[in-house]
Amino acid sequence: MEWYEPRDFREWAKRLFAIRHLVLILFILSIFISELRFDWFEQTVGSYLVATNSKRPESGAIWEIGHRTITARKTLDKIVTDRQFLQREARGATTFTQMVLNILPNKGIMLSSERFRKIYLTLPQTIAQKIASPFEMLRLFSDGSWVRTYLEKAGDDLKIYLLNAHNRVLKELEIPSDLIQYIERVDMALTGTLEDLPSFENRIYSAAHFFAALRSLPQEDLRSVVSQPEMLLSMPGHIVRVGISDEAVSGFIELGFEIEDGTKRKVILLQGREWAVWTLRSYLEEKEGEPNTNVKSQNDRM
Amino acid sequence: MAHTAIIIRMLRIVFYVALALSSFAALAGIGIFFVAVKDLPRVPEPLIRIIETPPTEIYAATGEKIMVIGGREFIPLSRVSQHFIQAVVATEDHRFWEHHGIDKLRTLKALWITLFKPGKVQGASTITQQLSKNLFFSFKRRYMRKFRELLVALQIESQYSKREILEAYINQIPIGVGAHGIEQGARTFFGKPASELTLAESALLAGLPKSPTRYNPYIHYDRAKKRQRVVLLRMVAVGYITQAMADRASYAELNLQKLPARARTGSYFLDIVVKSLEERYGPNVVHHGGLKVTTTIDPQLQSQAIKSLQKGLIELEKMMGVHTKTNESSGEKVVGPQGALVAVETNSGAIKALVGGRDYSETEYNRAVENKRLPGSGFKPFLYYTALEKLDINPATVFIDQPVTIPVIGAEDWSPRNFGLKHEGPMILKRALMKSVNSIAAQLVEKTGPEEVIRTARCSGIKSQLKPVYSVALGTSGVSPLEMASSFATFATGGVRHEAFWISRVEDALGRVLEEHIVGGKRSLDVSLVYQLVDMMRGVVDEGTGSIVRRLGFDLPAAGKTGTTDGYYDAWFTGFTPTLSTSVWVGYDKGEGLWDTRGMGITGGHGAAPIWADFMIKATDGEPHREFVIPSDIRLERVDLITGYKANDSTLNPMRIALREGQNLYENIVGDETLNDSTILFPSWAP
Repeated sequence: MEWYEPRDFREWAKRLFAIRHLVLILFILSIFISELRFDWFEQTVGSYLVATNSKRPESGAIWEIGHRTITARKTLDKIVTDRQFLQREARGATTFTQMVLNILPNKGIMLSSERFRKIYLTLPQTIAQKIASPFEMLRLFSDGSWVRTYLEKAGDDLKIYLLNAHNRVLKELEIPSDLIQYIERVDMALTGTLEDLPSFENRIYSAAHFFAALRSLPQEDLRSVVSQPEMLLSMPGHIVRVGISDEAVSGFIELGFEIEDGTKRKVILLQGREWAVWTLRSYLEEKEGEPNTNVKSQNDRM
Repeated sequence: MAHTAIIIRMLRIVFYVALALSSFAALAGIGIFFVAVKDLPRVPEPLIRIIETPPTEIYAATGEKIMVIGGREFIPLSRVSQHFIQAVVATEDHRFWEHHGIDKLRTLKALWITLFKPGKVQGASTITQQLSKNLFFSFKRRYMRKFRELLVALQIESQYSKREILEAYINQIPIGVGAHGIEQGARTFFGKPASELTLAESALLAGLPKSPTRYNPYIHYDRAKKRQRVVLLRMVAVGYITQAMADRASYAELNLQKLPARARTGSYFLDIVVKSLEERYGPNVVHHGGLKVTTTIDPQLQSQAIKSLQKGLIELEKMMGVHTKTNESSGEKVVGPQGALVAVETNSGAIKALVGGRDYSETEYNRAVENKRLPGSGFKPFLYYTALEKLDINPATVFIDQPVTIPVIGAEDWSPRNFGLKHEGPMILKRALMKSVNSIAAQLVEKTGPEEVIRTARCSGIKSQLKPVYSVALGTSGVSPLEMASSFATFATGGVRHEAFWISRVEDALGRVLEEHIVGGKRSLDVSLVYQLVDMMRGVVDEGTGSIVRRLGFDLPAAGKTGTTDGYYDAWFTGFTPTLSTSVWVGYDKGEGLWDTRGMGITGGHGAAPIWADFMIKATDGEPHREFVIPSDIRLERVDLITGYKANDSTLNPMRIALREGQNLYENIVGDETLNDSTILFPSWAP
């Protein structure tokens, strides 16, 4: 039958309330009611969103806080790791120079009093005395108040604070940059020859000549010239030349011992007391007249 | 018939239009859904993971926690009072346990009200929607934001159990006074864990998240109580409690913890702590890194400092006849004078108390640190030290208090006047400081030069810019109370300067040390000269312009100096014992002097010294009588305060002075070659 437009309300109502339409309306109503009762629409949407969750961005207020927390943790971790690295390196240092190398500007290091004492004891006596009187160190160490040591750079100088348990400074030591440089040179055997060090260029003697003159000094003065003969003895190779610096610093004069080890040459620096070195120089010059700056070439020819 | 056809046609049109619109709406809904889903934030797994951010905790020197920045204290639902859970559910979303993220009936009702009742907007957010909003979205009212918030709520409902959702919700809601989450809230307001909250307390706290500021019980107690009543009635309506229980809870007394007041105890102080931390580590680390910061503050001293300053300012207002109050009609606030107090431990530089104004909640401007005010005569100790050092004079050296005019190259002559505009004639140097005689100070600075005075001030710890002019000796360059307290501490330690500090240790959340303060002093002033100065400053406290301190009952050995500026804009008193140096400043923030009801100017001795005394009496309570250490080359003598002659039985007004090795009283009588063209008195007039 062909469809035609309802001509009156009766026809229209008849069609509207036809079984087929009622079933459809009931079906739609049941969908609405079941949604109200069972929230299936919300559950479906929710389940879809759960399924796609991992593909969505980590955005929004709480994620931003989370990211900031992670960034903050990373920043702190870096600060702590850097600090711990420097502390570890400093604690592992066996020489004063190694320890100083680990101190960066604005990043001091903290050592136990025990550790610092050990490093202090590795220094040549004359240098150690310049840093702090061993008797003062002994006093602080024995009364038990010195617990830790804090070292920091102050410009080119080094500041050392001996601290008690409450971080109060018991003693403050200041090491000027020239002394630090000197310690570094003492600690390290410089690769090269005495000619590489301008302060020695005027007074370079053959080892034989130097030690002959040294023997002329009274026995009790020998250590005033060569404070650590044991250190020189421990070096591989043999001493070929000795230089005496033109400059005196705080009552001390630097001596350079050039050591030949196979084909390599290196210079060990030590400090001698000014008066003792002057005496030695007079012996050296008496014996030879003027110091021989060409000893190296003579030696080389030998 | 034709009429019926028209109606049917109309109905048909309406039906098809409705069908078309519905189809369009459905398609648009699907489109909007996919657009909204595109940028929808990811929901974390588990939900609580992102709530757990470590707080930065700031501790006092005594170990007491004084501030927590950021962070959340997460607790499981089992550790929350059942009353609170019920109160929250009843108030915020009573069908929480039934719906799936959206309360459709409530939403329809809210929609009806919003659309058909002009001027009324009703919210229908469920707890899940609120959680979604708080965790992921801004608070801007936008339809798309609202829709996304709903979608995330639906996801949260599908992904987590109701208990997990409620747990996350109550652990992040803002309760007020800086507390987030119920555990922090319960501890902040009632000093107890969330598990022990009573019905009345639970109802109060459950009502706060709606507007933590508006219902803050510390400020608007009545409003908070009304809100509590609303919550209780909701609980009755939902059936969680009976009306009788609600009534009892409503009338129950609330023992609000005084913690918020205490948390504010160090607010000015905490400001400088947080600022320092942010400068060193950056704001992100401070607010999200979970630092453990140990400061130098002593909570008891800090609390006392606040009380003393507030009490002193009230007394000052009475003296002046003004009151800090809000004018009800205009709403304008009549603001009285302000003040600041800083107390520094002398042998370390640690700040033990710092108050930067009368009330932090009114003004956060930190007058203890940022306010560079003229110290007036409070600066004279730096001049007197310089004079003792450079002019080879001693405290018994005699000067004449008389009008002086000092020529200034390229400027007008300088003619400082005495405070009382009177001149007393001859007097010894110590008395000149005790009486704060400007004419004698001017004579001294003319001899020493302002640069030397500035050098002494710098050695002592003054860092502010100081103008190299004669008047600098009379305090015409601005300094802060913190600088004054810190620099006077250098006098207290015999010339050993300690940098003022407020953070002693910083650790990360795992307890790894980031920094420690090394307490080291540096000798910057001569110990014997400092003792001579301190002895003169003791005279200020015992018998001079600061003697009110003694009259108020402070009896431990102390030294100090008052300061008052022209026009009475600033009143200072800075003084110290061997262990504690404290500076007090009072004055208006802008352009008003301190005048009493009789029209007399208020000096440092009357405006600031009483506050100092009140604080120091409490701060040093129980401390032993501890004298300033006398250096070995110092000897104490008694002299006539006018002639400077050694006192004998017939001396009417003997005064104790301190002399260094090599200094003797005879020199005072014959005068000093370096100064005999000046105003030092020679014995022509002497008996």
